[in-house]
Amino acid sequence: MTDTLTCANLSKSYGGVVAVRDVGFTIAPGEAYGLLGPNGAGKTTTISMLVGLLKPDTGTVVVGGADLSADPMAAKAKIGYVPQEIALYPDLTGRENLRFFCRLFGLPRKAVRARVEEVLDLVGLADRADAKLDTYSGGMKRRINIGAALLHRPELLILDEPTVGVDPQSRKSILDGLERLVADGMALLYTSHYMEEVERVCDRIAIVDHGSIVAEGTRHELVALVGGADRIELTLDGDVDTALAKLRGLGGVTEAVRTAAGSVRLIAEGGRYLLPSVISTVDGIAAVTAVEVVEPDLEATFLHLTGNTLRD
Amino acid sequence: MVRSLLTVSALELRTRVRDRTALIIAIIVPVAMATLFGVALGGDDPPLRATVGMVDLDGGEFPAGVRREVMASTELDGVLTLRDLPGRAQAQSALDAGDIGAAIIFPPGFSDSVGAGQGGKVDVLTSADTPLAGVVANAVVDRISSLVRARTLAVRASLDAGVPAGEVKEFVERNGAAGPALTLENDPMAGGRVDLSVYYGAGMAALFAFFVVGASFRSLLIERKQGTLDRMRAGPIHGWVPIAGKAVVGFALAMVSVCVTWASSVLIFGSTWGDPVAVFTLLLAHVLAATAITMLVASRARTDAQADGVIMVISFVAAFFGGSLVPLYTLPDLLQKIALFTPNAWTTTGLTGLAGSGAGLASVAVPIGVLCAIAAAAFGLAATGFRKGLLG
Repeated sequence: MTDTLTCANLSKSYGGVVAVRDVGFTIAPGEAYGLLGPNGAGKTTTISMLVGLLKPDTGTVVVGGADLSADPMAAKAKIGYVPQEIALYPDLTGRENLRFFCRLFGLPRKAVRARVEEVLDLVGLADRADAKLDTYSGGMKRRINIGAALLHRPELLILDEPTVGVDPQSRKSILDGLERLVADGMALLYTSHYMEEVERVCDRIAIVDHGSIVAEGTRHELVALVGGADRIELTLDGDVDTALAKLRGLGGVTEAVRTAAGSVRLIAEGGRYLLPSVISTVDGIAAVTAVEVVEPDLEATFLHLTGNTLRD
Repeated sequence: MVRSLLTVSALELRTRVRDRTALIIAIIVPVAMATLFGVALGGDDPPLRATVGMVDLDGGEFPAGVRREVMASTELDGVLTLRDLPGRAQAQSALDAGDIGAAIIFPPGFSDSVGAGQGGKVDVLTSADTPLAGVVANAVVDRISSLVRARTLAVRASLDAGVPAGEVKEFVERNGAAGPALTLENDPMAGGRVDLSVYYGAGMAALFAFFVVGASFRSLLIERKQGTLDRMRAGPIHGWVPIAGKAVVGFALAMVSVCVTWASSVLIFGSTWGDPVAVFTLLLAHVLAATAITMLVASRARTDAQADGVIMVISFVAAFFGGSLVPLYTLPDLLQKIALFTPNAWTTTGLTGLAGSGAGLASVAVPIGVLCAIAAAAFGLAATGFRKGLLG
């Protein structure tokens, strides 16, 4: 089966600063693909190149068989883009917004009304369709933001942080809707900071850092990359630096870092079994006021691959 | 492509009408400003200090009569100065150098030709830089033309009645058949009056065209900020569609604005702006230039607030130097030369000339050409700016 999206060797620099370096991946029909990365990792630049907002310095993007640089209209007609911000007109009603983008994207005049109603039903906003967008709740805005990208029945839906700032009910509704679209055969490219969303929605995940894909695979494949190590989160009261130094020398601990003033994170094989040794190691140096053992998950993998340094 | 463009334009127009910027900036404020100026200052001609060159290659009674009447006119004393020049070439040089504002040229044999009933033709040289002097010169020549027509008719009638050719001149003068002798009335610009309601109406039209069209490009930058521009560009449309859609509406609303200001001046004050085709074409060229300049600003601005500020500054600087706020002839020479870089100066000068002279489209060909050149240059730079920025 032909992939819905094939991108290869995508690179983009700004005045000598590399934003994206040699990024490439494919997404098959009915597949959800996640892009994970810290702030500034190059996710938005990659997405901007995929939807034709930025011209890559090198590389190719093919959507549904159409080359984005050679035939941008055909390629873009197959893409639905959901920007991170609510990219709609606040002074217009939900229905007016959808109608505008239907016409802009060239839907036949007679089909506009029916398609708008379909999408309003799809995002659950038929009953609020005639209210102005600036009266919508955050979740409703997010839903219609996605709806506007579905109007022209794209083969590939690209979502950039689509659930930022919404309540759990709206998030669930959005994720349920996306899963239905994927089940119906739509390809999905999804970026989010919420690991559990990516784990739930995406079949394959790429972890991006410093402009490059540093790991790619299914959730299980990625988790296996860190060797199944557990994460031990400690809260200490006392001489944290000395305790940290001691813990680094403890057998079985592969990594020990300070994450906050009195907080320490350890990566260790069989963390729960190592816990008594950990506590005895710091005994007399610092008091353990809280402890948590986290088994391997995507977040641990993500932090392992991208580090703990704060990104702006 | 066309459907997408019309869709963007329709939304822009709807937004502008809904938020009332179209009504307020395009119609109410310019009309109100022009009306206020007209009420306060209208009806009085702007103070004139014109020097008109006189080339007398005839040496007969007509040139002498003109000189005598001008010198005797109390109304023109201290306002109009005649400067004798030896020939057409010298008059043209003086005009180009700005030493005179216009020139009247009497060809050799003019008086004899009129005396023989064969009529005659007087040339007038004018400059776009000094339209009011041109108005005065044309007014003087209009008087001469009336007299020439009357004298020619009288001579021909006398000849037909059998008066010998050698006695016709004396016969006509003795019987007063040629009408009154050449006299200049106190209003040298009758029929070509330029009052301040026209002057400031034109100025406000030129100024507000920038604001009206600038609002459309400001909304383009707002769309960039709110993400709708990227959403449009990510769709299957040409990248220029959002820009062109905004430009079309800005241009159309600015045309409505200048035409409404023009119409209000005519309806409220009974002013005459001159040949409608020429006025419309000149206003069209001005709005085109304003569209291109504001588009250039939008192509380089980072935010809508920055674009707003820059357009405001450009509009007022162009209005001041271009004579939209202060009559051009009151500015020092250096500033008058700087004014030539503003579209407002060419528009105001062209409109003033049309209002005063009753001339047609050909008389404003130069201002229209300059405005189109400004528009072409600004459009070119804007296209480059958009390719590097918004569409990069």
